Amino acid sequence: MSIATSLPGRAALHPVPLAWRNLTANKRRLLRSSGGIGFAVLLMLMQLGFERAFFDSSLMVIRGLDGDLFVQSAHKYQFATQDPFPAAELDAARQIPGVASARPFYADWFDMFWKNPADGKIFLIRAFAFDPDQPVFSFAQINAERGRLKSPDTVLVDRRGRPFLGMDRTAGQSQLNGVTVKIVGNFALGPDFMSDGTVVMSARTFADVLHGAAGNPPGIEAGVIKLAPGADPARVQAALKKTLPVGLSVMTKDQLIAFERKFQAEVSSAGPIFAIGTVVGFVVGMLISYQITYTDVADQLPQYATLKAIGYPTLFLLRVVLEQAALNGLAGWVPAWLASILLFRVIGELALLPMRMSLGITLLSLGLTLGMCLISAAIAVRRVVAADPAEVF
Amino acid sequence: MCAMVAERPAPIPAEAAPASAPVVSVDGLNHYYGEGVARNQVLFDNRIEIPPGQLVVMTGPSGAGKTTLLTLVGALRSVHEGRIAVLGRDLGRLPPHDLVAVRREIGFIFQMHNLFEALTAYENVKMAEQLGHEPPETGRRHCLELLERLGLGHRIDYKPRLLSGGERQRVAIARALVNHPRLVLADEPTAALDKDATRVVIELLKETTVAQQAAVIMVTHDYRIIECADRLVHMVDGRIVSDVVLHDALRICEFLRPIDLFRALTPNQLTHVAEKMTKRHFSSGETIIREGEAATEFFLISDGEVEVVRAENEVARLGRGDFFGEVALLSGELRNATIIAAEPLETFVLGKDDFQAAIEASPSFRDQLYRVYFQRH
Repeated sequence: MSIATSLPGRAALHPVPLAWRNLTANKRRLLRSSGGIGFAVLLMLMQLGFERAFFDSSLMVIRGLDGDLFVQSAHKYQFATQDPFPAAELDAARQIPGVASARPFYADWFDMFWKNPADGKIFLIRAFAFDPDQPVFSFAQINAERGRLKSPDTVLVDRRGRPFLGMDRTAGQSQLNGVTVKIVGNFALGPDFMSDGTVVMSARTFADVLHGAAGNPPGIEAGVIKLAPGADPARVQAALKKTLPVGLSVMTKDQLIAFERKFQAEVSSAGPIFAIGTVVGFVVGMLISYQITYTDVADQLPQYATLKAIGYPTLFLLRVVLEQAALNGLAGWVPAWLASILLFRVIGELALLPMRMSLGITLLSLGLTLGMCLISAAIAVRRVVAADPAEVF
Repeated sequence: MCAMVAERPAPIPAEAAPASAPVVSVDGLNHYYGEGVARNQVLFDNRIEIPPGQLVVMTGPSGAGKTTLLTLVGALRSVHEGRIAVLGRDLGRLPPHDLVAVRREIGFIFQMHNLFEALTAYENVKMAEQLGHEPPETGRRHCLELLERLGLGHRIDYKPRLLSGGERQRVAIARALVNHPRLVLADEPTAALDKDATRVVIELLKETTVAQQAAVIMVTHDYRIIECADRLVHMVDGRIVSDVVLHDALRICEFLRPIDLFRALTPNQLTHVAEKMTKRHFSSGETIIREGEAATEFFLISDGEVEVVRAENEVARLGRGDFFGEVALLSGELRNATIIAAEPLETFVLGKDDFQAAIEASPSFRDQLYRVYFQRH
């Protein structure tokens, strides 16, 4: 005698949508449960959004550099830290076959003090510099205005810099490290979690401004290398590594981005803080989801036991509970996702951070939501598994 | 009321058992609750065999073991000691996942309806129907027919909270019957029903037994159902103390009533005697009692003839409605004749103790017996 324990094919094909019906039967309860789960999802989305904004803002400068390979000190643990090397080191790079150009990129994050032209207050900002005849940025506005930078002591200011810096082109002039500079244009970059604003200038102005501060001509923070058409990046990278001093590293743009991302995620405190924030949201969501599923299962335990009694396998009941939990998660995720788009926009504008909903955040938050609901349902569903069908008599 | 039987779809053939085989067979069943020192026996050596087409009503006081027996027969508990065969399958030998499959062939009616509040009446029935094997359209039609039949045709899209207690219970009954079960187990199925709804439910259950040859085992104290039962099983303290096939009891009463010996008995006394009698068959030529033996039983001939033989000579013939074996029981002497079946014989037998009890219970019965006794001597 062969007795099948799986559901007959028809039940599998056209079942009563029990999970959906359970979910939608009580609109008020659905509103409460989706609100609870949605709150946890929103917590996770905000953490993910902040984390992504943090990474993106720290990577915007690297992404904005117009190069195929980048030379920087091998001792750097992140891009935005200072370890300059002589610009002359790039002369050897220019001799490597396949290298079309090797341009110096100057930067300073720690010694550049900007005076707000309106109120006279002084703030630490970051400064980037290059030879106006050897542009290194792909930002159109910087490239359009780079001719103006040839005049001494001229700067371009970041109009998305924090308002308290007073980086307003209409101001005409201001002071950097006590040196009066003329504001000749602006660009839109925005702050990151380290810097509130940015000025861009020529290498000559950069030297002038820092000469007063350090007393020595500045080194460069990176060499921006463009390859000749058809050149093999890996081969040129290998040749550069062989040619340049041991203290310099050569990375492609992707490697440089990964280098920076690794620092932010693993070394800096910010990455783990956002990750922990996301985990807290996940745990809160799990608790809420568990409470919702547990209450629902407890309320319907006699019904589930009855289904067991009339011949439904336990696996079917598990599927119903898990399906309902997943639907509950979706019901919470959708409004939270929509709300987060609005919140991202508002916070992005207020905090001047690149808060954007991305496909990655969308999929990750959806996965986390389903995960937290299914895990909590898997714990709560033990009551259904233990339900004794004999008890319904 | 009980005679109303509508035509129903053909029953689903059983997988393992022939149609005539008992639907339920219980033998030597013991059951326990608890473990170790707390282990408590709740069923004691119960035996019962229920053929197809029988509506069995189980009665007994609370804690008598009715529900436990019902859940064991329903494959909802594991068998501890003894044997239970349902639809030809020995439940004690089946692994748990096969017990689930057996339960799909049983219709369960619980005292608590346990309907999903989120589903409509139709969907609650369909939850059970989709476990069956009917094509979708037939299944859907059958769900609707059943609900219609149970007076819920206008409420198929209602959710349980909009139904009365009786209506909810009728949905649960439809859920139990929708897959044409060959066994229905019911616990107080009409407790929440009014008179008309009860009538419809009883009709349906009777139809199930007649048209589908299903067995229905029902725990109830509703006299309206007891009136229609084919068999009454009474349990006390975990034991089946009385198991009466009412059809046989009625036949026995019909036989006993015209006999002078039993005429003085009240209907209750007559029924009590009938309930104590068990059916026994003898083949032609078989000796039923032997001259010189000690008397242990009283016999009533239901069908066939016997020869009364004394000293190897036939002295009389007894037929349908006659009785024998009472003389030695009354006198305490040994049998004074040999009784041999002259043809295939059906008798109802009353044991010595029950015979004596009946005599003690009714002085008039005793007087009648003695009058017959002295007439025969």
